[in-house]
Amino acid sequence: MNGIEQTLISGVEGGTIILYPALGELIGERAGIVNLGTEGCMLAGALAAYAAAATTGSAWVGVLAGMAAGGLVSLVHAWMVVKRKADQLASGLVLWFLVIGLTSVLGASFVSSIVTPLPIVRVPLLGSIPWLGDILFDHDPLVYASYVLVGAVWWMLYRTRAGLVLRASGERPEVVAVAGRRPDRVQIAAVTIGGTLAGIGGAQLSVGYVDSWFDNMTNGYGFIAVAVVLFAVWRPLLVLAGSYLFGIALAAASVLQAHNVAINQYLLDALPYLVTLVALVAFARRGGARTPEGLARALNNTS
Amino acid sequence: MSEALSLPTAPVDPPTPTPARRSLATIASGLANASVWTRLGLALGAYAVCLGLFSLVVWSQGANPTGVITTIFNSALVDNGSIDQILLRAVPIVLAALAVSVPARAGLVNVGGEGGLIIGAIAATGTALYIVGPGVSSVVALPLMALAGIAAGALWSAIAAVLRVFVNANEAVTTLLLNFIANDILLYLLYQPWKAPGGTGQPQSKPLSANTTLPHIFGNTLNLGVIIALVAALGVYLLLTRTSWGFALRVVGGNQRAASRAGLPVKRLMISSMAVGGGLAGLGGMLYLAGTQLQLLPGGTATFGYIAFLAAFLGRHNPLGVTLAALLFSAIAISAPGLQLNYGLDGNVVDILLALAVAAPLAISASRKKAF
Repeated sequence: MNGIEQTLISGVEGGTIILYPALGELIGERAGIVNLGTEGCMLAGALAAYAAAATTGSAWVGVLAGMAAGGLVSLVHAWMVVKRKADQLASGLVLWFLVIGLTSVLGASFVSSIVTPLPIVRVPLLGSIPWLGDILFDHDPLVYASYVLVGAVWWMLYRTRAGLVLRASGERPEVVAVAGRRPDRVQIAAVTIGGTLAGIGGAQLSVGYVDSWFDNMTNGYGFIAVAVVLFAVWRPLLVLAGSYLFGIALAAASVLQAHNVAINQYLLDALPYLVTLVALVAFARRGGARTPEGLARALNNTS
Repeated sequence: MSEALSLPTAPVDPPTPTPARRSLATIASGLANASVWTRLGLALGAYAVCLGLFSLVVWSQGANPTGVITTIFNSALVDNGSIDQILLRAVPIVLAALAVSVPARAGLVNVGGEGGLIIGAIAATGTALYIVGPGVSSVVALPLMALAGIAAGALWSAIAAVLRVFVNANEAVTTLLLNFIANDILLYLLYQPWKAPGGTGQPQSKPLSANTTLPHIFGNTLNLGVIIALVAALGVYLLLTRTSWGFALRVVGGNQRAASRAGLPVKRLMISSMAVGGGLAGLGGMLYLAGTQLQLLPGGTATFGYIAFLAAFLGRHNPLGVTLAALLFSAIAISAPGLQLNYGLDGNVVDILLALAVAAPLAISASRKKAF
């Protein structure tokens, strides 16, 4: 196995950590709500998944717990910004900080516990395709579920009535209200589903990718997920590409370290953030007119 | 839109946004006193809920909530020498909070206080160890370090503003990403080129020589940084309220399109507000380094930048309110070691209290329009 293949394999695995929260954030932002607390949802999901997996012995119970934790955090965010009209960016950051405190306190006793991680299942048939099979079809089942999810989110957004109402709630909530629907409920549901997906991302990190729990282990990945949605101009397929770009940057750093390349480890650690920033610079401009109108109001701090 | 029209002009907080209650609140706003009492009641209620939640977390960890809250209160107000510690800790928090508030006037969300503190401390360390040297008088050395910190912080934060203005990259996201990059640069420097030789496992720079540390004032715990931070807060207050630049920022923050039609250089104002904010954070990093830490350490800023962001929101971006909020948060933050020692709680437990302190006003903020 050469370095490039190794980078791509763990790029897909690591990209999945970002793909789930990014798809979740995409759903929320299409409904007009940005959630910087995605980082907090991931962190809460990572701890809940690890704690539940360590207690029950099943990583799958862990994934469910991670979903619940992420959903709960985002529900608070949704309530604050939709019902209480709190500042969206501030509310997300406050919740993130709250989760940092909560997870360090509640997670302290799980730092040294051991879990059985999610199993690696090679897909029959597809997994035996040379090269591609190793890269795409030799992972834990959450990775495969994410392939399906990208298509499902695309289909839901563009081919169903629910998706239409969701997108309309992000553009002109008044219009949705006039049509006899409740845009506020749509937004709360969208943000909560988004947080639930972010919780899966956290679970993939703690019981699928690194198989341990430590303080603040999401390390800004939730913010990267928000950035991915911005430079992917709210398109599910571009979100997939952006997430794997991040995953590859993350994997490249550790593969280069493993091959003793003489670059300082901490400079390599900065690589994923730098790549995200560069991608944002390269593609953010295209976003302009495509930004959901309600979201643009929140992002540009105008009302 | 119809919702905006039905809102009263006074900043009233209707208890819930149902139509019946809102009209009640509108009536209440007519009676000025009633609205004050409603707001006070809501605020007290929200804080009571927050204290309740905090107690619950503490209790779930087997600690006695009243004991913990008393410990925080004592370490903030009663214990000997705690005032000094609060003031020292408040220096970087005040400056990083002002770094949030200045761009906020122009409608920018700067979460880059943390990165600004780190980059400022790095620039000051580089200046102290590799440019100034031990032979130079501190009258020359300290201002040079401060200038280096300010310039580095200003340039660093200006990156995010430039990206916002020219490629429409959201500045809240870019400043967050820049924080992580700044931290990796710090770790790189400490693990390789600036690592003090013969150190133990903990990577750290060489200690600053005496000519590059801040002089003590009023005895031997406080240092000049406390005065500088207070002067900076006052300076920012005057800058924002008494200068045409400060006024222009408010116009940009209020309505960008109107500002640009009125002929204001909107882009330049946005970038300059961010650069001034970054400069303040950079100064904060330099003062904390040269006054308290005395050598560059990993994790030296210990999330002060984020605490400062919360303080800036609690102080509603008013420089004086922000300074008070920063002092309050500094007081809460210094109780962490005591809680660890007496109750076996993780030191980050205070983060919960800080976040809840800001979550409370956010949760009751329904329909409040921006203060400026």
